Amino acid sequence: MSSQDIVEKRGTAAPQPKQRQVLVNFAANYGLAVIFVLVLIVFGLMRPDTYLSRSNIGNLLTSQSVTALLALAVMMPLTTGRFDLSVGYHVGLAQVLMVGLQANQQLPWVVSAIIVLAVGAAVGAINGFLVTRFKIDSFIATMGVGSLLYGLSNWYTQGMQISGLQLPAGYLSVAGDIFGIPFPAIIVLLVGIILWIVLERIPAGRSLYFIGFNPRAAELSGINVGRAVNAAFISSGLLCALAGIMLGAILRSGTPSVGPEYLLPAFAASLLGATSIRPGRVNVGGTLLSILILAFSFSGVQQLGAAFYVEYLFNGGILVVAVALSVYAAARRRKSAVHSSAH
Amino acid sequence: MSKAENILTIRNLTKRFYGSLALDHVDFSLEKGEIHALIGENGAGKSTFIKILAGVYACDGGEITLDGQVVDPRTDSLSIAFVHQDPAFAEELSVGENIAFGMGYPRRRGLIDWSAVKAQAVKIYEAMEIAPLDPDRLVSTLTAPEKAILAIVRTLALAPKVLVLDEPTAALPEADSVQLFKAMRRLRSLGTSMIYVSHRLNELFGLADRVTVFRNGRHIVTEPMAGATGDGLIEHMLGRPPVKLSGADPRAETRGSAVLEVRDLTIGGRGPVSFEAQAGEILGLVGLRGGGQEAIGRAIFGALPITSGVIILNGKPLPQKRSIGDSIEFGIRLLAGDRSAESAFAGMNLVENIFVNPRIRGGSMWRWTSPAREREEARQIIDRFDVRPRREASLIDWLSGGNQQKTCLARWLNDQGDLVILEEPTSGVDIGAKLAIHKILRGYAAGGRTMLVISTDLEEVAALCDRAIIVSRGRQISELAGPELTLDQLVSHSSQGGRHAVSI
Repeated sequence: MSSQDIVEKRGTAAPQPKQRQVLVNFAANYGLAVIFVLVLIVFGLMRPDTYLSRSNIGNLLTSQSVTALLALAVMMPLTTGRFDLSVGYHVGLAQVLMVGLQANQQLPWVVSAIIVLAVGAAVGAINGFLVTRFKIDSFIATMGVGSLLYGLSNWYTQGMQISGLQLPAGYLSVAGDIFGIPFPAIIVLLVGIILWIVLERIPAGRSLYFIGFNPRAAELSGINVGRAVNAAFISSGLLCALAGIMLGAILRSGTPSVGPEYLLPAFAASLLGATSIRPGRVNVGGTLLSILILAFSFSGVQQLGAAFYVEYLFNGGILVVAVALSVYAAARRRKSAVHSSAH
Repeated sequence: MSKAENILTIRNLTKRFYGSLALDHVDFSLEKGEIHALIGENGAGKSTFIKILAGVYACDGGEITLDGQVVDPRTDSLSIAFVHQDPAFAEELSVGENIAFGMGYPRRRGLIDWSAVKAQAVKIYEAMEIAPLDPDRLVSTLTAPEKAILAIVRTLALAPKVLVLDEPTAALPEADSVQLFKAMRRLRSLGTSMIYVSHRLNELFGLADRVTVFRNGRHIVTEPMAGATGDGLIEHMLGRPPVKLSGADPRAETRGSAVLEVRDLTIGGRGPVSFEAQAGEILGLVGLRGGGQEAIGRAIFGALPITSGVIILNGKPLPQKRSIGDSIEFGIRLLAGDRSAESAFAGMNLVENIFVNPRIRGGSMWRWTSPAREREEARQIIDRFDVRPRREASLIDWLSGGNQQKTCLARWLNDQGDLVILEEPTSGVDIGAKLAIHKILRGYAAGGRTMLVISTDLEEVAALCDRAIIVSRGRQISELAGPELTLDQLVSHSSQGGRHAVSI
């Protein structure tokens, strides 16, 4: 705070308050979009043949669709200020169940998908029940449920990979293309639009944010907090199930060890997303934009010859930087508001 | 003026925020061993003034002299201590430890001497002639007045020459402020000089030695408290004579039939209480803190379970079990008293803070809302409630207390709903906003709304309500209306209730 004051006191070189306000607002709302464009330009120029090629973009969109759905899954309870740490294990279970029901139980793929979605909703409901009814801290409750799910998927597979050699073409086309656009990316876009409408335009969905900012005030304004938090966890469960259905088709097998590694990038993306579009709160647009930035900048670094472990440095670094940025941006906005309202 | 020596002298203090002057060549002096009240509306420059003393802001001009030396609060460590409105403690640590943070932990052979930590806490309370708290109690278990006193006690550890108290009573009911004032008087007798910022004028009489009024960043007047009058001070703060609160109100004429009937209501073993309220009536439920009047309002709103009794709204008994959402559908509204904890959504903008729940305005939770239309509506509402600054996109936490309260009020007051319950509608609000809120409330009452004001602020009840019921232990102990409803009557009736409650 103090060094800031000193800088502002000198005053003369600083832009006028109006201009400055506009600049601060633009940076706060569209900073991520600017960064994304810069990433595309820089790596596009450095690797002109491969980076912006159709196949690279297609591969990135397909593989990141799972992370994107999980980032949205993490985001839903986060709007109410609750964590869902079970998403990584949950997508793993959904994926082995999806492949296993077809390979072992010989069920048609649509029926399997419906069962996986139902299980997903049930897992979400259990998380919600533990948090709202038993008042267990969401961090603990979902961590426990996550481990439980990991146990279940290893029990179901006996720890072994389920072969997907006989998976029907109909199911595998989930990971295919439509008019040259990866189908998973289209699903993510549709899900994103629906969630955006619910959270930004429908009062019932918007009430999740009210709960996140002040749960007691939300309750006293007539919002049914318990029901809304449950709904957030159920939607999170459904999104994990959908991600699992997609992941099975991408991997073409059911692998019980897959899943946990998605948790960190999912959190990184939704928290980084909270710095943009609707600064100060997790939001759909920011989350999806963050997924794109993370994917495209990591792919660029990879094409320049970075080793495999750079991905972990990347995701961890982004998570820390994202949270630091959002805290700094909030302080910055408060300051500029205080100054402009002193007129 | 007395010839006493000044401990703190401030000359020509000036602070600019960009183009505008927050402080305009302000002079101020504090004598040794005086309590000097500092008053003014929000935005008058009091907090900028205090923040400069605390070294938070640099001043753009002027001179601060402390104990004969010219000082710069940003670089020098000064013997000035601050007690803020909402003092921060280590809530899950004991009273003794919180005091030890300031004084240092007494040690024996390098380790903390816990019995000395406790003894030191007791000693410092005794030096203030206040009954000491159990030093082992966790701060989180203290009541609001106990915390306020602890905030002062722990600053004593620093033996400051000047103590600045920034609205320490804002969160306290008037009756609980007495202990605090006792502590301040004791400090004065020990030679400490105090600057006391407050919104409650009546508590300054008999406490402060002198009073200074700021308005629009300027020093308006400094005078001995003994010669000051409430009306005179308000006039200095506003820059115009105050509008008389009673007299020309559109009261009483618009009365109708009973909108609310409460019969033999008991809540958690307290009560029973029975009363009625008419359309267009502003009814006060008054009592000391913890007198049970809050519980009555909350039970009517469905936020607290009812043990027994009936609540009848517009002739129809309400179901015993009902959610807050149900109560809103029945036409009941409740503005919670604790603004930051239960009412304002800090971090969200004014549009959102107004349109929290569309059912309050007769809408649906599942209908598409257009942000452009919401913004437009919010702009009109902000105009009507005179919220400043008139920027619907600013976050509510950027506003002053009075404007935050107007925004929260705007959430609940519209053309829907029959019964509005208001808990401490003007707590932590400056005098200008207080008058404005009273005017808004009277306007809605005149429009046929029934208002239930739950309050510990007797002055406010006397000024605002048509009728007041004095509550103690959830029971009605007396009722005042018309010419009987005066501050003096309220004070005498409610203090009787206090004694009554203790003797049971």
